[in-house]
Amino acid sequence: MLAGAAFTRGQTPEGGVIVITGPTGRKMPLAVPPLLAPGVAALQSKVSEPFTAALRADLDYSSAFVVTDAKNDPSGTRDVSTADAAGRWLSTGAEILVDTRGDVAGDRVSVEARVWDLKSRKPIFARRYSGGVSFVERIAHTLANDILKELTGQAGSFLSTILFVSDRDGGRNKELYAMDFDGRNPRRLTNHHSLILNPDARAGKIVFTSYAKRYPQVWTMNADGSGQRELSTGLELNASPALSPDGTQIAFSGSAKGNPDIYVMNASGGGLRRLTSTRALEASPDWSPTGRQILYTSDQTGSPQIWVMDAEGTGARRMTFAGNWNDEASWSPKGDRIAFACRNEGDFNICVMDFATGHTVQLTSEGSNDHPSWSPDGTKIVYQSRRGGTAYQIYTMDATDGKNKRQLTEGGSNMQPVWMP
Amino acid sequence: MKRNSTRAMAVIFALAAALSFASACKKKPPTTTSESKPTTEAPTRPGETQVTQPTTRTPDNVQTEEIPADLAKLNQMGYLQDAFYDYNKADLRDDARTALSANADWLKKHPSTQFLIEGHCDDRGTTEYNLALGDRRANAAREYLTSLGVDGSRIRTVSYGKERPFCTEETESCWQQNRRAHFLFTAR
Repeated sequence: MLAGAAFTRGQTPEGGVIVITGPTGRKMPLAVPPLLAPGVAALQSKVSEPFTAALRADLDYSSAFVVTDAKNDPSGTRDVSTADAAGRWLSTGAEILVDTRGDVAGDRVSVEARVWDLKSRKPIFARRYSGGVSFVERIAHTLANDILKELTGQAGSFLSTILFVSDRDGGRNKELYAMDFDGRNPRRLTNHHSLILNPDARAGKIVFTSYAKRYPQVWTMNADGSGQRELSTGLELNASPALSPDGTQIAFSGSAKGNPDIYVMNASGGGLRRLTSTRALEASPDWSPTGRQILYTSDQTGSPQIWVMDAEGTGARRMTFAGNWNDEASWSPKGDRIAFACRNEGDFNICVMDFATGHTVQLTSEGSNDHPSWSPDGTKIVYQSRRGGTAYQIYTMDATDGKNKRQLTEGGSNMQPVWMP
Repeated sequence: MKRNSTRAMAVIFALAAALSFASACKKKPPTTTSESKPTTEAPTRPGETQVTQPTTRTPDNVQTEEIPADLAKLNQMGYLQDAFYDYNKADLRDDARTALSANADWLKKHPSTQFLIEGHCDDRGTTEYNLALGDRRANAAREYLTSLGVDGSRIRTVSYGKERPFCTEETESCWQQNRRAHFLFTAR
C-alpha cells in the first residue's frame, strides 16, 4: 500500500532512546483541484472555497498524503480515463486525483466525489455526500476520513475533538475547553471559576480534576458539557482521572495522609479501591485499550518511571529504564505503543515505545514537551510544548517520526490536551 | 558538598537578615513585618524566613497579643512560616523543621485557629506528578506539626502542584521559592 518508513536513526549519547533525524517515509501525492460547481457560481465563496480548503488541509495534514500544488486542471478535464488526460495529471507529480463536483438546491449542498488512481486510470471509489450549506466543511472532513480509510485501511481523525485546559479567559483560573482536531472552533465547556486539570474522555463521558470546592476532586460530565457532577471519595488528593475504555471505571491518583497511590472507583461514584500500596508516589494512570492493564508513574526506584500493572493492581512491572524522569504515559489506540514524557537532563520530550519490544524513539527535541495523547486513528500525537518560561501551547505531530509539527493554540496558556476517541 | 555550601550561605543570609531585623525592631513592632509573605519581592531563602518571625518575643507577649479578627488580615500578619523543600523531595530539611517548630509554638498558643497547608512545587516536573508531590509536601508538614502537639483536626492540606507559583523565573532561586508548604488560616 503506502511506502514504508525509511528513517535515519541515531543513537543518543545517553543510550536507550533513538532520535529520528532524517526524512520520513514517502507520502502519497494527491491532486485535489477545486470543487466544481458550475451552476452555483454565486456560492463560490460559501461552498467551493471552504470545501476545497478544508479537504486539502485535511489530506495534507494526514501523515499518509501530500497534496500537490496542481490546483487547476492541467488537461482542462477531470475525465482521466484516457492515457493522455491522466498523463497530464501525472506530470504534475500527482498519483491520485480527488475529483469533486457540487450542486446546491436551496440551502442544501450535494457533493459527488471520485477518487482516481492515475497510473491505472481506475476509480478507487466514488461517493455522494449531502448536507446543509453551512456544514460544507463537515462534508469535506467526512470525505477526507473516507479517502484515508480507502487508501490506508484506517479511518482519519478529521471529525475528532481535542480537550484541553486554558487560562485564556483571564486570571489564574483554568477552565476546560474543546476544539476541532485542527485547532479550529475552540469552545468552553466549564464555568468553575477555579482550577481545572487532567481531562480525559471515553465512551461519551468526560472526567477532570476541579478545585471548584477548594480541594482537588474528580468531576464527571457528558461529552457536551452537560450533567456536571463531583465524585466524592473522602481522599485528600483526587487527580489525573482516567476513564476505562468502556467508561465504567475511573482510575486516578488519590492520596490519604500524603501517600499518593493509584485508586479506581466506579464512573458513577463509589466502589473505591486502592490498586497500588507502595510508600512511593504513584500518579498518571492510563488504561490499555482492552481495559485489562493500567500504565502509571511511580517513583519507587528513586526517580519517576513508567510502570504497568493488571487492572486489579497485580503484576506491576517497570517499563522505562532510560533517563531520570519518565511520566504521563498514554496508550496508543491499538495498544501496541505507548507515548510518554521522557527526560534525561534538562527539558521533557515526547517518546514513543513499542510496548512489546521496549524499542523507543524520541519525537521532539526543542523546548519542553509533555502530556502526549493519541489521535483516534493512532497516526498523530497531540502534546503541550513551551520554550523557556513561556506559556504552554498545544501541538500535533506524526506519531511515527515526529514530523508535521503544527501549533493549534495561541493566546494564554493552553495545556493538557487529550484527543477524544 | 553543594548542599553544605548552600546551607552555609543560608546561615550568612540569616545572620544578615537578623541584624537588619533587629534594627527594624527599634522602629516598629515586629508583627508588622511582611518579609515572610510569599508574594513579596524579598527573597525567601529557607534559612532566612525563620528570622522574619517575631522569635524575639517572649511567650507571654504572644499570649496577650490580640490577633486580627479578620481572616484576610490574619493571613497578612506572617505568623506562620512556610517550609521549603529540595527538588523532587518531600523530606523536611533542618530549616523546614525550624520553621515548623516555630509554627507549632504559635499554633499551640492560639488553639482556636484552623488552617490549610498548601503543597507547592517548582515547574520542572509534570503537572500530574507535581500534584502528587505537593500532596506529600503538605502532609510532611502536617505530620511534623502533629508530632509537636498541634491538633490534627485543625489542619487540612491541599496540593496545587506547580499551578500556583510564587514566582515564574527559570532560576534556582525562583524554583526554591516554589518548592514549599504554605500556610493559610481558614478560621480564627
